[in-house]
Amino acid sequence: MTRRRWTLITLLVALPALALSAQRFNRVSPGEHPNPNAKYDGRFVFIRVKFEPLGGLRDLKWDHDYPVAETHFLKILEEVSSMHPQIAETSILGFGDPELFKFPVAYVSEPGFWTMSPAELTGVRAYVQKGGFIIFDDFSTRHWINFEEKWRTAFPNLTLVKLDVSHPMFDSFYHIKTLDMTHPYFGLKSEFWGAYEDNDPKKRLVMVANYNNDIGDYMEWSDQGLLPVPLTNEAYKLAVNYVVYALTH
Amino acid sequence: MDALVEFLFKYRPAAFARGVLGVDPLIPAWLVAAAAVVIAALGGWTLWRAAGSASLRTRAGLGALRVGAIALLAWCLCRPVLVVAESIDQRNVVAVLLDDSRSMRIADVNGASRASAALHLAGGPDSALLRALGARYQVRVYRTSAAGRVANAGSLAFDGARTRLLGAVARVEDELVGAPLAGVVVLSDGADNGGRDVGAPSTQDQLSTLRARGVPVYTVGIGSARFGKDIEVAQLEVPHHALRNATVLLDVQIAQRGFGGATLPVVVEDSGRVVASQQVTFPRDGEVASVRLRVPVPEPGARMWRVRVAVQPGEEVSENNERRAVVTVQDRHEKVLYVEGEPRPEIKFARRAVEGDAQLQLVTLLRSAKDKYLRLGVDDSLELVNGFPTTRAQLFGYRAIVLGSIEASFFTGDQLRMMADFVSERGGGLLALGGRASFAEGGFASTTLADLLPIEMTPVSRGDSLRATEITAVATPAGLRHPALQVEGSDSAVAERWRTLPPLTTVNALGRAKAGATVLLEGRTGERGALRPLLAFQRYGRGRVLALGAQDDWLWQMHADIAVDDSTHERLWRQMLRWLVSDVPDRVEPLLPDEAGPGEAVVLRAIVRDSAFLKRNGASVSATVISPSGAEQVVPFDWAVDRDGEYTASFVPDTDGVHEVRVRAVAGRDTVKAAPGFVRVVEPIDEYFGAERRDALLAQLASETGGRRYEADRATDVARDIVYSPSGSTQVRRLDIWDMPVVFVLLTMLLGGEWWWRRRRGLR
Repeated sequence: MTRRRWTLITLLVALPALALSAQRFNRVSPGEHPNPNAKYDGRFVFIRVKFEPLGGLRDLKWDHDYPVAETHFLKILEEVSSMHPQIAETSILGFGDPELFKFPVAYVSEPGFWTMSPAELTGVRAYVQKGGFIIFDDFSTRHWINFEEKWRTAFPNLTLVKLDVSHPMFDSFYHIKTLDMTHPYFGLKSEFWGAYEDNDPKKRLVMVANYNNDIGDYMEWSDQGLLPVPLTNEAYKLAVNYVVYALTH
Repeated sequence: MDALVEFLFKYRPAAFARGVLGVDPLIPAWLVAAAAVVIAALGGWTLWRAAGSASLRTRAGLGALRVGAIALLAWCLCRPVLVVAESIDQRNVVAVLLDDSRSMRIADVNGASRASAALHLAGGPDSALLRALGARYQVRVYRTSAAGRVANAGSLAFDGARTRLLGAVARVEDELVGAPLAGVVVLSDGADNGGRDVGAPSTQDQLSTLRARGVPVYTVGIGSARFGKDIEVAQLEVPHHALRNATVLLDVQIAQRGFGGATLPVVVEDSGRVVASQQVTFPRDGEVASVRLRVPVPEPGARMWRVRVAVQPGEEVSENNERRAVVTVQDRHEKVLYVEGEPRPEIKFARRAVEGDAQLQLVTLLRSAKDKYLRLGVDDSLELVNGFPTTRAQLFGYRAIVLGSIEASFFTGDQLRMMADFVSERGGGLLALGGRASFAEGGFASTTLADLLPIEMTPVSRGDSLRATEITAVATPAGLRHPALQVEGSDSAVAERWRTLPPLTTVNALGRAKAGATVLLEGRTGERGALRPLLAFQRYGRGRVLALGAQDDWLWQMHADIAVDDSTHERLWRQMLRWLVSDVPDRVEPLLPDEAGPGEAVVLRAIVRDSAFLKRNGASVSATVISPSGAEQVVPFDWAVDRDGEYTASFVPDTDGVHEVRVRAVAGRDTVKAAPGFVRVVEPIDEYFGAERRDALLAQLASETGGRRYEADRATDVARDIVYSPSGSTQVRRLDIWDMPVVFVLLTMLLGGEWWWRRRRGLR
């Protein structure tokens, strides 16, 4: 093979990659221009927690699947349950934002890139101690390292425990029979982790972590047929159960 | 005053009060009248001529004086008389009733005791009153504390534990039925503290009975009407029951004389151990001080509390410086049903607030979707399995209901009526929470429950959009004193906490509080917005209803301004629910007196109901009474025939101390036990409260029966007034009254006045 041919092949491979990386580099992350936050009126509001992403460059990480995932979820939630959530608007708040304390359920996407300022560290501790519930989603493999480190920083005394299907949370609305689920893209077996208030299994869970899973993605693409319907259904069921559990425990 | 009247009118006022006027003329009255007219005409004509130069006014005045004098003389010539019934000498009986209760030991009669003052009057045949009465009557002496005549009043111990004054008068009259009883003379300080007895007739009823008998009662007040120096724990308000781990509020009223401005400690003791104390500064002399004390009750059982103020030098009564209370602390599980129409944070935070309270069980029925329920806190898999209870027995098993944001149409008509009965008949509590499907917005304005709620509702059309309005809670004075709002340990801290809580929101158009409702919290919209009820309650039948108009009181737990360790929300919820269930009756409801005196019969009552809380007759009811030494006796109850479901029994305790009473009812196969109750057998001290002489009852007793009230120093006047008693054996007397000194005084004034006037005008 001549040098010219090698050069051609290299260019054919490198140019699309460059183009893709350039595109990614220039991509406008949806969180950079968010919709206006919902005004508190007593109804349930989907709260997505923002943070300074760990090495995220222009990808904010926490805004993955925003706002389609929550919009789809809220419509489903209103349809299947007796809840009357705010559907037209959702909110993006930081753990250091006092407004967050009007909403006792918060969703954190990509905790593998989660960081906290001192104010956010204080905020997340107070949020959980007062009764807040956090859903961690969209992280896998080595992302666990950062997630666990940050969790231990915030809650050194709250042990992370792996949940099984017998936990009441999986029966709070839908009777979920199995947690046998996989990551939408990587085929990894999902795990569900939680932490009990005062480390007491008789008390409430203060958070749930969908490790090796991304229910946000399932919900985001649920109107496109991109991902398997049975798994998408399971993602919705999990999300509904999480919210009902969080509002009742 | 009586002496002056008697001097001028010749007879006692009692004679004029009883008698009627008449005339006994020696010559025909018409003749006297005609002569008087002629004389008056002649006199007037003579006067007219003599006063020819005087003014018309003078002549008219002089004429009137002369005619008046002639008319008075003519009236005397007609021989006016007072026709009155008089007791026949030695043919009548007078009963003297001596108050021999303990309050008569108080030494407030010129340094001597009331008892000695009474004995001075009626202690023996030679005593002043008995001697005066004995001249005309057969006198019999009785006492208030026991039946039968008193042979020797001087030997009375004055140790009566209670005074049933009206009852004693009635008893004396009963004992003298058939005897010619001219009247009853009562020597007392006016105390009557027998009205607390179970089933005792009211004061008014007793007075009516005495009035109907027609025997006049003459009362002699013994003692001082106003103490110089005294402190009295006048009133103690404390709940009879409390749940374990509660903080019980004691509202104490302290009356005082001679200690205005003084600062003294008020102490609560539990079996000799000080459990609370507070300094109180008395207001002006004679005014009452109010004190609120908080006592935690961590242990179940009967708590014996004494609230006292140390006896101060110079006090006239030392026994009234303390009051006692028995509080039954119950270690029980109170089931509260919380029904909610949608998953919302209210559920989470209410459950979190209550979960650490071992005495409360919040059973939650959440309608998470149409015909789909999430049940939390249930006892077993069957509880509420079909949703909201459909029978009284199911619903009435709970002690209170929390009604969340769930529309009225969720319930059937029967269920709504059952909830109303739950409150009014079963005596359960109801807490209505604000929300998008609550109150009028939930369609309750036109339902049975509208009557229960303490707040007016304005019907809302379905098209009305719900708008959340921010409201800031403002505690009312009633709220600051209410047990549910005691979120801190002192009055000032409670007020400060309620002043600084963050605002909530409401979506309900709540109207005014109803007439019988009490507003505990008001909600202010904006900086200077209007106030409207936010938390209010009212009694409905036997139960209580609370309404909380906010949709998110959980913000008082979660809000960024609330400290992590703040317990306001938690305490509010626990205390609201504890207050709602505090007086909810069981199926067997013992009604026991707090205290009984040694040797007194303790009357026990019990109301028995079936599982639907309908009153049950024909049950076999008994009580096991456990004395302080552990000895048990079983006391059977009898059905009170005139009252459905009510049973009564009594026992006489043989020892002092706390007696535990366990009531048990058996009806068919159904056996129900009541929570233990407690009766303390102890020397009563009621006699020393309100111990200043109480003239009001003495005056009322006398006036209602046709008698009269006397001061002790005029007690012997009774003997002169009772002569005119219409009761007993009497004879009619016609008493001359033409020769009353007042007639001569009047005649002299008329004639002297005419003479003085004429001289002044220079007339002959």
